[in-house]
Amino acid sequence: MSNAAVLSPRSRSGKRGSGKNVRRRPRPGVGKSISVALLVLGAIGMIAPFLWMFTTSLRDASQAYDLPPQWLPSEWDWSNYAAAVSGPVPILRNMFNSAVIAIAVSIGMIITAPMAGYAFAKIEFPGRNSIFVGLLSSLMVPAQVTIIPLFLLMRTFGLLDNPLSLILPGITGALGVFLLRQFFLGLPQEIIDAARMDGATAWQTYRLIALPLAKNAVSTLGVITFLGSWNAYFAPSIFLNSTDTATLPLGLVLMLGPYGAGNVAQVMAATTIAIAPALIVFLVAQRWIIASLTQSAVKG
Amino acid sequence: MTLTAPKTALPPAPLPGRGGRPGRQTAARREALTGYLFTAPTVIGFLVFVLGPLVAALYLSLTKYNILTAPKFVGFDNYVRMFRDERLATTYGNTVLYVGAAVVLINAFALLFAVLINQRLPRVLTYVFRSAYFFPYLVALVYVSIIWQALFQKDTGILNYYITALGGERIDWLNSSEFSKVSVIIVDTWRNVGFAMLIYVAALQEVPKDMVEAARMDGANEWQIFRRITLPMISQATFFNITITIIGAFQIYESIIVLTRGGPGDASRSVVMYIAEVAFNKFDMGYASAIAVTLFLIIMLVTMAQFRLRKSWVNNE
Repeated sequence: MSNAAVLSPRSRSGKRGSGKNVRRRPRPGVGKSISVALLVLGAIGMIAPFLWMFTTSLRDASQAYDLPPQWLPSEWDWSNYAAAVSGPVPILRNMFNSAVIAIAVSIGMIITAPMAGYAFAKIEFPGRNSIFVGLLSSLMVPAQVTIIPLFLLMRTFGLLDNPLSLILPGITGALGVFLLRQFFLGLPQEIIDAARMDGATAWQTYRLIALPLAKNAVSTLGVITFLGSWNAYFAPSIFLNSTDTATLPLGLVLMLGPYGAGNVAQVMAATTIAIAPALIVFLVAQRWIIASLTQSAVKG
Repeated sequence: MTLTAPKTALPPAPLPGRGGRPGRQTAARREALTGYLFTAPTVIGFLVFVLGPLVAALYLSLTKYNILTAPKFVGFDNYVRMFRDERLATTYGNTVLYVGAAVVLINAFALLFAVLINQRLPRVLTYVFRSAYFFPYLVALVYVSIIWQALFQKDTGILNYYITALGGERIDWLNSSEFSKVSVIIVDTWRNVGFAMLIYVAALQEVPKDMVEAARMDGANEWQIFRRITLPMISQATFFNITITIIGAFQIYESIIVLTRGGPGDASRSVVMYIAEVAFNKFDMGYASAIAVTLFLIIMLVTMAQFRLRKSWVNNE
């Protein structure tokens, strides 16, 4: 990649700036402009593929492969979107399937995970810690190990090619419990005790006091769960096997066809549609997603 | 929200006639019951969809099973068979290459960009850079792979267009046995670098500024500061990132399906693709389970090793 030579200039410029004579403010203008230049270069590398996707989606299919590549749309021809949507692969149907699964999984998760997280943080019961550790260890179990028995399980219950095969395993999960437990641990015990003293039941305390305070953590969990489900490929590719039940990622791979033989302008139009939810989430919620994702890693 | 009704009931002793030990016992029992009820959905989900299948996979790995007839116990035959399986050696070799490349490249670029972004830059710039680097991580790997496979095309792709424009030769990104792997690594690095970078940025912000300033006063140069202060201070983030990249790269799957379909031959095929093929095309469920169990053991060992190492080399304040 183009950034390969980047490491050495950076450290060199650092050294140069803080040599023996210049000690007050090392790296005045030069070092900073080099690093901004590098960051710009990297940012272009991250965004360019998406820009190309969008531009290509607006080009006439016959010109989609014309070189030199265009980076900005010269015409706004939305016909590829219409064609992608009405093609042999039912992209809209696939999108609907993805949405149903992702919404169901997210709703399930934001109900089950905060309850469990709250119990592990604030309710005393025998075996609490060992159950929690057991749950956490499931984060070490890769999906590839459980997929075969899960496939057999779904087959036994006639759930193959059925969205339930993805919804049922998705509505609970250790990661959400872990995140919410962390949050509830930080909640002052006095708040809980006060409510209990006032005669609130455990359920009322949770539902009316604790849960509303966890609004941000729960929303973040919902968004992360939604995106995870919306983006999933591995399990859907094994449990679903008809174009009508396929989720959007499966539909797009079908549309792409073997060896990328599909109509590239239409594929890029469909991919643009598929990326839209991530973009929306990103624009609306990036700040708290970033905060909650990084917090759990850095503060452990 | 406000619980006004119970509050008015506060002045009299709460729950009269229920003091003393028996009362407390019922309260404790009720509390325990509540705990179990609250955790029940999660625990049931865990038992049915994680622990049960894990145990079943361990059992299946000791059987011969083709779905049509009942599993037949064969002991460790499947595990012995792995040693003679050249395709498994190839796919595991590829996977280990992907893991090594991911650990080195993702962490090197992520740390570099994190250090650059962590300087005093105008706020807008910081925000724009952070967003640009992080965005690919939110987009499904399938989707970004679909874009990249168009960019990688030998004759029509823009990557080769720019390479030839600069005087280079066309590269067969997707169909040569070396470059198919390179393509997979490029996409993997490109997509994951932003997340690792955010972790590093968060860690860098926790490095005490007066410490850095003091070292600078004492005449330390930027490299020494980075090596002796910054790097040890962010070791927990490094630990986290390395673990995450190893685990992620061992499971690499859909990017390869879209980019190269594992080809040419098995040149870019990952072990997970091989598992899926053995299980769901050849219906050799026992053998596929055995391979999957080795993957599980590797991921478990990596995680546990990292946790142990963490104690020795992570600076925990």
